[in-house]
Amino acid sequence: MTPEGRDNSGQVPGSVNLSRARDYFAVPAPIKRIFDRFPLVTYPSNDLPLRGAPSRNGNRLFVFTNAADAKQNKPSFNPQCLKWQAYLRFVGIEFDIVSSNNHASPTGALPFLLPALPTSNSTPIPSTKLQKWAIEQVHCEEEQQLNLRFDVYASLLDHRIRNAWLYALYLDTENFTSVARRLYVDPSTSNSVVRAALASQLQQAAREELLKSTQYIDVSALEAEAGDAFEALSTLLGDDKYFFGRSKPGLFDASVFAYTHLILDEGMGWKQNRLADYLRKHKNLVQHRERLLKYF
Amino acid sequence: MVLELHVWGPAFSLPSIEAQCLATIAYFSLAVPQDAWVLVASSDPSVSPTSELPALRNGSTWVSRFRNIVDYLRQYSNGEWDLDSGLNGSERADNIAFSSFVESRAHALVDLSLYVTSQNYYNTTSPAYGSILQWPNQWILPPKIHGAAKARTEHLGLSSLDLQAIEDQRQREHSAAVAAGQIPKNFIRRPRDTVSGLLGKKSQQNQFRLEAITDDLFEPLEEMLGEKMYLLTRDSAGPSSLDCLALGYLSLALVPDLPYAWLRDAMKSKAPRLTVYTERLRQQCFDAAVEVSHAVAPSANTTSSHLPWRAPEQARLTTIGSTLFNAFADSVPILKDVRAQDRLRVAAESSDSGLSQEDSKKLSTFAHTQKKDILVNIAYAAGGLAALVGYMAYEGFFSSEGFDDDELEDEPITEFEPETMQAQNFLFG
Repeated sequence: MTPEGRDNSGQVPGSVNLSRARDYFAVPAPIKRIFDRFPLVTYPSNDLPLRGAPSRNGNRLFVFTNAADAKQNKPSFNPQCLKWQAYLRFVGIEFDIVSSNNHASPTGALPFLLPALPTSNSTPIPSTKLQKWAIEQVHCEEEQQLNLRFDVYASLLDHRIRNAWLYALYLDTENFTSVARRLYVDPSTSNSVVRAALASQLQQAAREELLKSTQYIDVSALEAEAGDAFEALSTLLGDDKYFFGRSKPGLFDASVFAYTHLILDEGMGWKQNRLADYLRKHKNLVQHRERLLKYF
Repeated sequence: MVLELHVWGPAFSLPSIEAQCLATIAYFSLAVPQDAWVLVASSDPSVSPTSELPALRNGSTWVSRFRNIVDYLRQYSNGEWDLDSGLNGSERADNIAFSSFVESRAHALVDLSLYVTSQNYYNTTSPAYGSILQWPNQWILPPKIHGAAKARTEHLGLSSLDLQAIEDQRQREHSAAVAAGQIPKNFIRRPRDTVSGLLGKKSQQNQFRLEAITDDLFEPLEEMLGEKMYLLTRDSAGPSSLDCLALGYLSLALVPDLPYAWLRDAMKSKAPRLTVYTERLRQQCFDAAVEVSHAVAPSANTTSSHLPWRAPEQARLTTIGSTLFNAFADSVPILKDVRAQDRLRVAAESSDSGLSQEDSKKLSTFAHTQKKDILVNIAYAAGGLAALVGYMAYEGFFSSEGFDDDELEDEPITEFEPETMQAQNFLFG
């Protein structure tokens, strides 16, 4: 490996221990020589992908979806994305769906929206500011202000149902291989090592999220709490067409639909779906989902 | 059989330092006759196989968490010890929704007030833990709980309450500035910040943020309470489990006497009716002022206390050993992951987890396969290490004496040669 070195062997006796310690941490000579040659060539930067730019003139919402579904504006498979996709649709804003991932987002989370106007200065709008933007656009009402129960019942979706969802999607092995792996991991790369790493990161993140508030993950408690949450939502909906007796679906309907649709959707390919069993006990929630599905 | 309720010990003149425990104590004192239960301030989650407090012990059965305990009591007493039995459909829905709301919102606020706000944590909360915990838990548990509270409230973006985090941030900026050579080292010196200083002058943004999240919690509750006696029901119907849960969190917001009492001030100014309600319910459920001595040596104070305290057992050597072992194991990198997987299996294999036979079998196989994954990871790591060592051996780092030393000595010369060549080229070229 180091022919020059061996020619000189035995010429420099001395502080052997010291130099041995130093050399363990030094970069080995052959590797150093390889890296000394970099960069070999610097290529010009790539053009933007063409699929990102077909309709430059509309509002574009970036969500988790695949290219085929994006063309037909089908519901996203991510609850957060679906919530905002449904809401913008309900209030009547025109937009196109673009398939994307977390790395594309300025905040690190999907969805975000690139507005069509003003054209000169199109800053992306993260999901936290989407409602404000929508209100400015079409002057719909801010529903949180109308009913004190909005925030209270929304906490059921943001905690109880979300936790059960996290477990069902990421930590249930069968579901993870057949649903989450197919939807989130496989499209991002074809390299099996990277896929394995990505998959374990996803599961780890879900587990940490669940262990934040409790010492261990009690599956039956998670599912029972989600069942209770569906019961409360069903009572809140009652015989109305939409939540809070509105004539037209709004943000709360979108938030509920985001979970109920994905839980009941046959196309997701669930292997274990105890959440759906809990949900089907409440006929009005199932009908609510079917009613809203017509918007897509 | 007397039911034993194990909880975190008393603090801030409340019977427990933790909200879920307070809620459970309140539920017991309202629903269960006083001779049917005892309260043990064991302050050590390892007493229960679920390693969580509050935990209810009935013979060999252990049930933990507020919601599970409430369900268990209903089954155990055939519906007699059930505060929620009188609720109608919409009240039941409200009970579920408000419970989730209080648990999520109030938990974050109590975390911020007692743990994340540095002045409060170091001056009040940490000493309170010190007085209820036994050795060695007093050194192990508080930092753990502190860290967990910080992690839970990270998303709120209020780390400026945490002087430690600010200090870290400043150190980073400081060293970055020094490294960039922008500012001479001697000129960077700022006074230590206090939380009130930060909130008062520097970051109004944070104050707005605190205003917003306290509003989010107190406004719906205040409106829900209205002129009623309890959150859901009128006086005649009696309290519900939601009242117990709310009392658990709100009393931790209201009662502790903290150096920086922003949460109490916010509650008093934004929700006066809720403040009165919390104080009244507290008188009803707990003693006016609970001391640690009530819990530790109850026999001396039987008359002064109306909670059925029983002295906790002294920690045995085995318990201490296992605590030390667990603390050690949880801070070893790979072992930590193995143990995190186990947390799921514990749930599935305990007989009272309520899963069907088939489900629990599935779950434990799942946990086992996960464990295998980690073992595979360890094997990969070991393989990689072996390959590295092999490479080093191949390179001659480990070969036998004389030759090895010479080889090492010669490295500098090898590296030097190309450079001299280049220099020569340069000179002659």
